[in-house]
Amino acid sequence: MVRAYRILCGVLGVAFVVFGLGAFVSFFGFHAPGSAGLGEPLPVGPNGVYFVAFTGSCLVGWGGCLLGAARRPEAAPWIATATATGLVLNAVYRIFVWILGDYHALGNLPRVEAGLFLLLALALLWLRPPASAAKAS
Amino acid sequence: MLRWVATAFIGALLVLTLVLPGTSLGRRGTESATRMETAGESSFVGRPFPPLALRTPEGEAIPWETLQGHRVLITLERSVDW
Repeated sequence: MVRAYRILCGVLGVAFVVFGLGAFVSFFGFHAPGSAGLGEPLPVGPNGVYFVAFTGSCLVGWGGCLLGAARRPEAAPWIATATATGLVLNAVYRIFVWILGDYHALGNLPRVEAGLFLLLALALLWLRPPASAAKAS
Repeated sequence: MLRWVATAFIGALLVLTLVLPGTSLGRRGTESATRMETAGESSFVGRPFPPLALRTPEGEAIPWETLQGHRVLITLERSVDW
């Protein structure tokens, strides 16, 4: 069970850091000389990439916490709870996005992502080490 | 106990994501549904536009007849009915 938890935290941590760095770098790509200015691959303007860079910075930090949890699961099991909360919030707005017609071009993607995030949140919730393990360590 | 409450909440959201397409709310905005609902509307192509009550942002009525003979661009904007 702890092994599965470590793998989950490790995979999520790496994914968060990679996506976070990508989002962070896209800000500088947007403002680079000669850039098309469309914020590729995300079709956002200057205000949009500002928040994309903010999200990327947070994702890198969050991913680092998850990688730490993968190394020492018993040290901070509440990282799993915090991550599960973040994933649920992500799922909630994606469900709303799917209902709204404004995001019609995305098709079923928001709903599929919401389902995936909810399953990951459940896995984190039930695989995390008990709080007593943290006290013992 | 708290873990079970969280699990129930997440489970409810999961069920919601699964049943959404089958609900009237979830069918909104899908192209196939729009095509089904407007199947007979293509018969309007090539015919005069039906009378339409238009108003300026100030609330003044725009007589439809005054637009006849002119090129009119109509933009339909969907809004969320809260």
